[in-house]
Amino acid sequence: MIPAIQAQHITFGYRRDRPVLRDVCFEVPPGDFLAVAGPNGAGKSTLLDLLAGLRQPQSGEILLADRNLRSCSVAQIARRVAVVRQEFIPAFGFTVEETVLMARTLHYGRWGFESPADRQLVRRALELTETTAFATRGLGSLSAGERQRVFIARGLAQDTPILLLDEPTSFLDLKHQVRIYDLLKSIQQEKGTTIVAITHDLNLAAQYCDETLLLSPGGSSAAPGPHFRIGKTSEVLTPEAVERAFEIRLFSGMVGRARFLFPLGRKAQDSDRPDPPA
Amino acid sequence: MPAPLTPGTLLLRTATAAMLLACAMLACSLIGPQAISLKAALSTPADSAAPNPDREIFLRVRSPRIILAALVGAALAGAGVVFQALLRNPLADPYILGISSGAGLGVILAIVGGLGWTLWGRSPVTLCAFVGALGTVWLVWGIGRITGKYQVTGLLLAGVVVNAFLSALIMFLTSIARGQQLYATIFWLMGNMTEEDLLVLWVSGGGIAAGLVGLFFLSPKLNIISVGYHDARSVGVPVERIELAAFALAAFITAVAVSLSGLIGFVGLIIPHAVRLVFGPDHRQLLPLSSLTGALFLVVADTIARTVVAPAQLPVGVITALIGGPFFLVLLIRLGRKGYWLA
Repeated sequence: MIPAIQAQHITFGYRRDRPVLRDVCFEVPPGDFLAVAGPNGAGKSTLLDLLAGLRQPQSGEILLADRNLRSCSVAQIARRVAVVRQEFIPAFGFTVEETVLMARTLHYGRWGFESPADRQLVRRALELTETTAFATRGLGSLSAGERQRVFIARGLAQDTPILLLDEPTSFLDLKHQVRIYDLLKSIQQEKGTTIVAITHDLNLAAQYCDETLLLSPGGSSAAPGPHFRIGKTSEVLTPEAVERAFEIRLFSGMVGRARFLFPLGRKAQDSDRPDPPA
Repeated sequence: MPAPLTPGTLLLRTATAAMLLACAMLACSLIGPQAISLKAALSTPADSAAPNPDREIFLRVRSPRIILAALVGAALAGAGVVFQALLRNPLADPYILGISSGAGLGVILAIVGGLGWTLWGRSPVTLCAFVGALGTVWLVWGIGRITGKYQVTGLLLAGVVVNAFLSALIMFLTSIARGQQLYATIFWLMGNMTEEDLLVLWVSGGGIAAGLVGLFFLSPKLNIISVGYHDARSVGVPVERIELAAFALAAFITAVAVSLSGLIGFVGLIIPHAVRLVFGPDHRQLLPLSSLTGALFLVVADTIARTVVAPAQLPVGVITALIGGPFFLVLLIRLGRKGYWLA
């Protein structure tokens, strides 16, 4: 089976001499739910930009199914990948339905209007995300959790085989975090969508995501070896790996078959130790 | 809350607005210091040599001026919609990127410099305004590109600073200008609807109409572009190309409007908001309805400007703000409470 996403030796830096991502390789099978975790500055959002074709890697290739991203136009990428972000500019008062409909912009007819099939996709996306009830309300009048569901609905309405999400649960309380992950899981199962989500919540990732890509901020360091790990979530998010990546001390415990990680404090650095008595 | 926009609704509303505009233009052409009768104006006298003052006034005095007002109103309101969307800023208007001060500088240089040459028998002032406007917006756009592709703050700041700089130049030149030059400059800066000759009207009317039609075909993509650069890219819109085309068309029709009529404030900022308050933010509808409403508004405002203190005339910019301001505030208070800003 052809992987939905293949990253082959990709290297990218905002300054050429300082790569954020260095020689990163991974594959995501179709229909997989991949979490991307790692401390701030490790290159998670950069990786998402690369997968969405917003930036080009300095070296290496990204393949979606068997198509090289470099040879895709903006429209061709948009047929394969939908991106859900959390940026929100409340400038002009679009309603929820209008916002979700924008996902179909590419498919509008010659006179700039959507087809009945587009409308059907929008309706389905609203239903799946349980946003139909406030479809005619303005986006700015919603709570953060409701708005996040609307943005996911827009991603769904784009009807792509791959869905990328940048921290879909930031700003959300526990109830809404769980609802978003339940929603993503049901989308994965019902539509077979390949999902890649950046997350800071390792425990949620451990519960919901099949695989995890753990990035360490080592892209620019001269340290040998890769600065990422990818694999089954339970094998990647081990206490040792997480402690190393985030430079913290962890408490880890098992509840049933699920492992939970709880941060205890900063990891002691060599420079933090008191001077030995003379 | 209105149902989602359908082609039928859009056609119906646009046709209604166009009918209203046509009626208003006809009615306003009959109003003036000299009352004229439409019947007399439209009748073809059996004896073509006999003078028909009604027809003369209707065809040669009022119609060109009313058509001019409609063109300028449509261009400014349409361009206002586009600039607000592209800059993702509800405070944007067609002049925000320096078009106004660029045109003003072109005009004052032409007047103070005493340009004596003519172009096909016409004064070079209009052309200077046009060149000044487009040159300035090109400069500002270039600076904006350098400062950042994804965000418009650099572009906005460049516009504000260039505007301030050119305004200072204009003030300097005004302060050293002599009496007649000064009067001509100030009259231009205040905005006016002097009767243009028909060739200029046809050419600029064609330009503005073509620009608006072009923008209409970009308008479906303006919705997602007004939400954000990354959003537009990820749904498959080639943002750079569309933005460049929309900027160029909007700047072009604004430059044409400014060269024709000088600086008329308010229309380009307030008409898009008024239409948005009533009909919602969908640009496919906002653009045609704003253009038609802007045309209607300026036709009415100009009719008031030329009749209220007749035989003297007021600059139309005075009327647009004096009438448009309170009207818009009423609309804002009544509809704004329903959560327009939050919506």
